[in-house]
Amino acid sequence: MQLLRKFRGANNEGSLALILLVVVLGMSLLNPVFFSVNTAFSILRAATVPMILALAVLLVIISGGIDVSFPVVAIGSAYTAVTICLKTGFDPGLPAIFGMAIVIGGLLGLVNGFVIAKFRLPTLIVTLGTQGIFFGAMLVYVGTRYYPTLPDSMAALSAVNVVELTTSAGRAYLHVLVLLSIAIALIIWAVLKYTMFGRSLYAIGGDAEGARRAGIRVVRTQLWIYVLVGMVAAIGGVAYVVMSRSANPQDLVGGELDIIAAVVLGGASIFGGRGSVLGTVLGVLLIQVINNSLLLVGVPSAWLRAAVGLLLILGVGAQAVSARRSAQRIHTVDTGEAVRLELEKVS
Amino acid sequence: MSSTTAPATQLADATGPAPVLSARHISKRFGGVQALDDVSLDLIPGEVHCLAGENGCGKSTLIKMISGAERPDSGEIEVDGIVHTRMNTTSAIQSGIQVIYQDFSLFGNLTVAENIVLTSAVAAKRKLYRVKDAREKAQAIVDELQLDLDLNADVENLSVADRQLTAICRALVSDARVIIMDEPTTALTHSEVEHLFTVVERLRARGVALVFVSHKLQEVLAISQRLTIMRSGRVVISGPSADFDRRSIARHMTGSDVEESRRVPDFDQTATPALEVRGLTLPGAFRDVSFQVGKGEILGVTGLLGSGRTELAESVFGVLPAKSGTIAIDGKPVRVRNIQDAVAAGIGYVPEDRLTQGLFLEKPIADNIIAASFNEHRNRWKLLDRKRIWGTITHFFDQLKIHAPHPNRAVRTLSGGNAQRVVLAKWLATDPKVLILNGPTVGVDVGSKAQILDLLRIQAERGMAVVIISDDVNELVACCHRVLVVAHGQITHELVADQVTEDSIQESMAV
Amino acid sequence: MKTEQAQPQAAENSLAAMNNRIGRVVTEAVGRTLRDRGVSRMLIALVVAFGFFAIMRPRIFLGPINLQNIMVAAPEVGVIAIAMMLAMLTGGIDLSLVSIANLSAVTMSTLFTAMAASNPAFGESMTVPIILIGLVVGAACGLLNGLLISLVGITPILATLATMQILNGLAVVWTGGKTLYGAPAALTTFGKTAIGPVPMLFIVFVLVAIVIATVVRSTALGRKLELQGANPVAARFSGIPSRSVLISSYTIGGLLAGLAGVLFLCRNPTASADYGASYVLLVIVIAVLGGTNPNGGFATVAGVVLATLTLQVVASGFTALRLSPYQYSIAQGVILVVVMILDTIQWSRPKWRKRGVTTDSASLQTTQVGTIKKDKEQE
Repeated sequence: MQLLRKFRGANNEGSLALILLVVVLGMSLLNPVFFSVNTAFSILRAATVPMILALAVLLVIISGGIDVSFPVVAIGSAYTAVTICLKTGFDPGLPAIFGMAIVIGGLLGLVNGFVIAKFRLPTLIVTLGTQGIFFGAMLVYVGTRYYPTLPDSMAALSAVNVVELTTSAGRAYLHVLVLLSIAIALIIWAVLKYTMFGRSLYAIGGDAEGARRAGIRVVRTQLWIYVLVGMVAAIGGVAYVVMSRSANPQDLVGGELDIIAAVVLGGASIFGGRGSVLGTVLGVLLIQVINNSLLLVGVPSAWLRAAVGLLLILGVGAQAVSARRSAQRIHTVDTGEAVRLELEKVS
Repeated sequence: MSSTTAPATQLADATGPAPVLSARHISKRFGGVQALDDVSLDLIPGEVHCLAGENGCGKSTLIKMISGAERPDSGEIEVDGIVHTRMNTTSAIQSGIQVIYQDFSLFGNLTVAENIVLTSAVAAKRKLYRVKDAREKAQAIVDELQLDLDLNADVENLSVADRQLTAICRALVSDARVIIMDEPTTALTHSEVEHLFTVVERLRARGVALVFVSHKLQEVLAISQRLTIMRSGRVVISGPSADFDRRSIARHMTGSDVEESRRVPDFDQTATPALEVRGLTLPGAFRDVSFQVGKGEILGVTGLLGSGRTELAESVFGVLPAKSGTIAIDGKPVRVRNIQDAVAAGIGYVPEDRLTQGLFLEKPIADNIIAASFNEHRNRWKLLDRKRIWGTITHFFDQLKIHAPHPNRAVRTLSGGNAQRVVLAKWLATDPKVLILNGPTVGVDVGSKAQILDLLRIQAERGMAVVIISDDVNELVACCHRVLVVAHGQITHELVADQVTEDSIQESMAV
Repeated sequence: MKTEQAQPQAAENSLAAMNNRIGRVVTEAVGRTLRDRGVSRMLIALVVAFGFFAIMRPRIFLGPINLQNIMVAAPEVGVIAIAMMLAMLTGGIDLSLVSIANLSAVTMSTLFTAMAASNPAFGESMTVPIILIGLVVGAACGLLNGLLISLVGITPILATLATMQILNGLAVVWTGGKTLYGAPAALTTFGKTAIGPVPMLFIVFVLVAIVIATVVRSTALGRKLELQGANPVAARFSGIPSRSVLISSYTIGGLLAGLAGVLFLCRNPTASADYGASYVLLVIVIAVLGGTNPNGGFATVAGVVLATLTLQVVASGFTALRLSPYQYSIAQGVILVVVMILDTIQWSRPKWRKRGVTTDSASLQTTQVGTIKKDKEQE
């Protein structure tokens, strides 16, 4: 029993892993083509950008907030960086492009964080507003053009693969940016687990007033959360642009709820205080695996959204029902041992 | 009044070792209310100091001054010879002062170990969090106090008692030398209180000065070495606990010997009872409880916290539907599966926790009054009849003497007594046959208390059956025809007519 | 209200009395509405915005085409925003409304096309049943939300996020991601008719607003919705049947979304799964601007209607000024954030002061008991 509970994990990571395993095994039995390095690599590739964005949102959700502006921040900072390079005709190299995007993303996040922390407004409403502002500002002041070719350094990165294999099913490539998403996952995991900042996120998400009483500087921490989210989202944006080998300012926008769904599926609580990197990674992977499976089985990918919604209901519904059950069990009454034993006999 | 303060303080100075903390001549006004008036308090290492007084006497405010949450208008606090004219939370924690609030300020989503260590780590301005260090530190404290706490459990899965122990451990990690506990026993069962007291003894042995804020007499006497009683923002008396008995504490707390005198209206004992409960059982809370309340009768129900008395009331009202047993209203059996059933059957319930369960604080008084009787205020088009609603509201404003500038004001702006009248009005508007009140005068000032009891007598005279669940023995004696004493989920005593006296109730509760 | 007096009962006076009564009811209602902050604030905003664009571009902006356009475009968003307001009134949120509206539109379009395929006249004759089916689809989806939220106990934002995905997914699968053409001609005609200068669609919107406002203000259900949102625990202890109240709230919301689907078809005889994707968040903006408290308990329909019109006026004004929709997007965000900030400044000051005064220990202690109790309570 103890072992089982431990396996399930604090945020149901175990159950999620189990579902993932079942889906993978089932698919492999149904269609042996599925069980191949090619499939694995392409799933990882497809999961890269959603993973980075989901990890960004995870930070906000743990702290008890919600952010719907991150896709705009992501594409906005990446597109701005690309535009600057192309307009000036100067390619400063990858680190500088990433750096530029991260700075822009951080600044946009700072705007979110400032308004939220300073005026204590509901995070959903504020980011809804800034989403519109950022999106409009990008299109008005940066541009609306679609760039089919990227600066050379980025274009070069698009073609870099860490692993290239020839398998029976053809050549399989593992894109280099997959490593980036893994690195970000590891960093955020470490930040959440081994820094006071990370623990403060959980504390604030659990009880903001209690966190204040415990001496945590809630306002400052909140400000940093949104800056960090902006920075991580910007990395995700650049990764997206690199992997799609073009820059379109209208991309990513509108997908915020899908990403949030993946994070919640990964066991994060929408009320804050709960959530893990492992769960989020599993949540994103599960969605991508299902997506891939549907294609292989011949079900139109249109079913994906419905499937994700259904999984969400099952996952969250199970939690809600079990929470209700355990709440019913708690009685704070001191009936005395004798009475209790007798009652057990009766019932 | 303050003249009694001075000798008491001197007494403390003269007999004990040097105090670790002394608060001197603290005064504080909130708006027009003098919350604290020249209050002084000494805390001595290894002693439990009880701070007693009724709700609103200023004890919580005093604690806020000591913990730095509020600043006094005048006065000073001396810790280890350093005089602070004003504390802030950080300096208080650094001086070793820890307050354990009623809600414990714990993080339900974090583990016990994390909760124990987090505050001190924040105070130390750490950047990194070392999981292993944290565990070891927490384990050390838990071992020292010989507690049985699962360090890896999430706090939200703990019992209230274990949460409290976690909060105590957290205070000790920060090297607390003064631990102030705000109503520490309120939500604990009897055996849990006893366990807490053994932990308190260990803390004393460590040389910690403890403050218990409480309004429960028995506990106060059992655990403390020193006692300070407050009333209306002043210290009424302070001295060794041995010098007090239950009666004298009560006298100092209520501030008068003008206790409510017993006055019970007549009622027809032969009529069919308004409420009849037979063999009601809710596993884990109470079992096989039977009683009846006549039309016009006021029945008192008392018992220690955790005896099952609140659960019993909530069962009759459908909050926690009973597993077996029957409930009859006016002789007709009714099924109470939920609150709507109870309301439909003519049962009203004024909950103990008025602010969260009884009132819509941000909503107007008017909305609160008709919150349970919308369906009775409709016209033939099934729309709400404003005229009738207005009639109801003005009627209850008059009848219950609700003092408010306008019924459109939010309930949040009302005093405790007026807020309670609004809850009362809400139920009277449904014209219930049975009205159950849990702690009807908790947090209500003395004047309002008498008036509320009068209102209940009037309702009884009109034929309503009234059930009062209360800790306040004086209140039960004042207006109840009969008193039931509940212990361990069963009715152990029934006191009728002349048997209803303070002594007899106390006695039957003690057994 | 206090000076209510006995009405003259004589027969000859009844008409005058009636007039009198109606007059008083109207002034009372208007007065009550204006006292609401959301309403007065949005009224000012609407007048300012209208005046600004009227002065800047009188020819284009005040032209009958532009004004008609505003009135034709506002209803579909407005009806969904009112549905969102209902969900927020109970302290929830409904992200699935637009998906419901699209599913309803897709259902109606498919049904019509199937019926009209063999016999166009038959398809036309079935217009009313088709509309009813569209509304039923909406209400059924709303009912699903309500059941998930109240019976299963899933948080509204997650339950409706999930149903949004499911319903949208179904619509995508059904349409194959394409835009469907086909709707009863009667609907399209209705969409183009106007009484005088006022389009029928706008009249439908106003009627819906009046009905919902009556439900919220003057029925037991509406007041229970408010109280449920203001304090769910106290609502339960007051005998308010939370489950059925929540279910009705989301079902009515779904019904309104279904109606929005009908309005979609009135404007264009096309239906697709992805129509109005931007509406999902836009209606939240409108509801909040209209004075709806996202934490529940406070909302007015009038405020939401005015907010809808204000944003529509700003949108068409921007077009009149030849500004891009992207600039409008900025304006929309700025309006939302600024209004919210102004709100906190107005709200927080008196609140803060009051808190200072009532920090007597009695109220404080009870609050703390409250938190403990609440933990115990949570089911």
